[in-house]
Amino acid sequence: MLQTMKHYSKVSLAHLRIAVLTVMEYPANMLGWLLSNPIQFILGFATIKFVVEEFGSVCGWGYGQLAFLYGISVISHALSMIFFVQGWFMGYYVIEGDFDRYLLRPMSVLYQFCFTKFNLVGITDLIPGICVFVYGCLQIDYVWTLKNTIYILVTLVGATFIRGGIYLIIGSSSFWTKSINDFGGYTQELFDKTTMYPISMYPESFQFVLTYLLPIGWVSFYPTAELLGIPNGRFAWDGAVWMTLVVGIIVFVAAAIIFKCSLKRYESAGN
Amino acid sequence: MCNGLAVNWRAFFYVYKTRIQKTLAYRFDVYGNIIWQCIVMFATAYFWKALYTGYDTVKGVQVEDMMTYTIVSSMMSLFFITFVEQRVIQSVEKGTVATDMLKPIPLFGIYFFEDLGYTTSLIVQNVIPIFIIGSIFIGVPVPHSTFMLLLFIPSVIMAYMINWLFAACFSTWAFTAINMNPMVQVKKHLIRLLSGCIIPMWFFPEWLSDILNVLPFVYIYQLPLDIYIGKYEMGILLQKMGIQALWLLVLWCLFVYLQKRVTKHVLVQGG
Repeated sequence: MLQTMKHYSKVSLAHLRIAVLTVMEYPANMLGWLLSNPIQFILGFATIKFVVEEFGSVCGWGYGQLAFLYGISVISHALSMIFFVQGWFMGYYVIEGDFDRYLLRPMSVLYQFCFTKFNLVGITDLIPGICVFVYGCLQIDYVWTLKNTIYILVTLVGATFIRGGIYLIIGSSSFWTKSINDFGGYTQELFDKTTMYPISMYPESFQFVLTYLLPIGWVSFYPTAELLGIPNGRFAWDGAVWMTLVVGIIVFVAAAIIFKCSLKRYESAGN
Repeated sequence: MCNGLAVNWRAFFYVYKTRIQKTLAYRFDVYGNIIWQCIVMFATAYFWKALYTGYDTVKGVQVEDMMTYTIVSSMMSLFFITFVEQRVIQSVEKGTVATDMLKPIPLFGIYFFEDLGYTTSLIVQNVIPIFIIGSIFIGVPVPHSTFMLLLFIPSVIMAYMINWLFAACFSTWAFTAINMNPMVQVKKHLIRLLSGCIIPMWFFPEWLSDILNVLPFVYIYQLPLDIYIGKYEMGILLQKMGIQALWLLVLWCLFVYLQKRVTKHVLVQGG
């Protein structure tokens, strides 16, 4: 067991090294994203701030608290981009027969799919996320005790797994439909609209869906609302921070099972 | 001369027609666009509803006007989808720009009529469904008056041209840049955030809206929408339409200049 884990981490490190080398080979490409992604997120937050300042608050959230929420949302988005963005492109892997290579190697296919291709461009999303988050912390005087720091980390891990799991589940649909199903843009839009704003502004039926059926509410809204002590709607649970981690693990395990079942339908590419 | 022009129109019409047929063949794109735009439309509508709780009028605008604003803006963003950048990037990358240039009609003329064909098919397939969905779930977007509706139409047409010319000017960059994708993203987000597409100018701080009023972006979304909801008096609106026409002229001149410059320098590798 220990031996296997050692082997797996060694393989991942080797791939991480390759990812870094690839980025260094094309610095201009990285520079382009380094400019475009921060502009997108920082401007996005600036517009929210202008509006909320005009009105005072939205569903009991001031703009400092919204910055905190937005920060958690963008940071977890960035982490999910680094580790799980392949889920968005699974359709291309299915159609072009790229799983052949993974199936031939003596390692778990899911592990190879997730952890042998690191998308370092995701780091360019991390920077604006951290900026807005720090701004939010300063606005609301967030106290950085050990407990609070752990809460933030637990939330981010859980949130990243929820996002990654959902990308995998959506991507797995390609095995069944045998088409590319590139849902990346829609997934991103849906996540943006449900994790950057408090979901308590939506009708209750939609809040229910976001809590139980498509658990995006746990990515940022419930844990942040609990940490900052803001009313969080009808479907909230106590201990939302730990629930985020639990939901993250459940979603990811479910995604792994769905992926495994779907992989059985894989037929490789042929003519 | 006259005869040559007539032939050109037939050729343009042919490009236009082919593009409509091509768009009708790709069903998934159509549903995808509707899903994506619905997510944005509903999220924005609920955001405004939540903000307006406890307020009747903010900055002279009622919540009903904001709902109309949101629906019409959603319809317009489908109307304003352009492919000219992607088209130029791909033809430069693959070298097909050479065959496009061999055709007996101007290079950008082909791209314009392709986009126009796409827009035409989108009106039936996307803009009307969005109008119906928005009317049922949010409220019928009634224009301020019949006269304003009549003024809205030329303003939208000018806005369409400004948007297209801006994209075309921008796309000429692809003849020299290596990777345009991050820049295309920046442009897309700048236009969405600074044109009044999602958040109207009047919520921005004065210094920022003063700057933006000088730039062409607000004449893409903000002005036609201002006209639709009757935000300003007739005199001010007509004055603004004058500036819009002026921007159209400036961008046209810039476009003619850039187009001449870049097509002279095209170098296609390979034989």
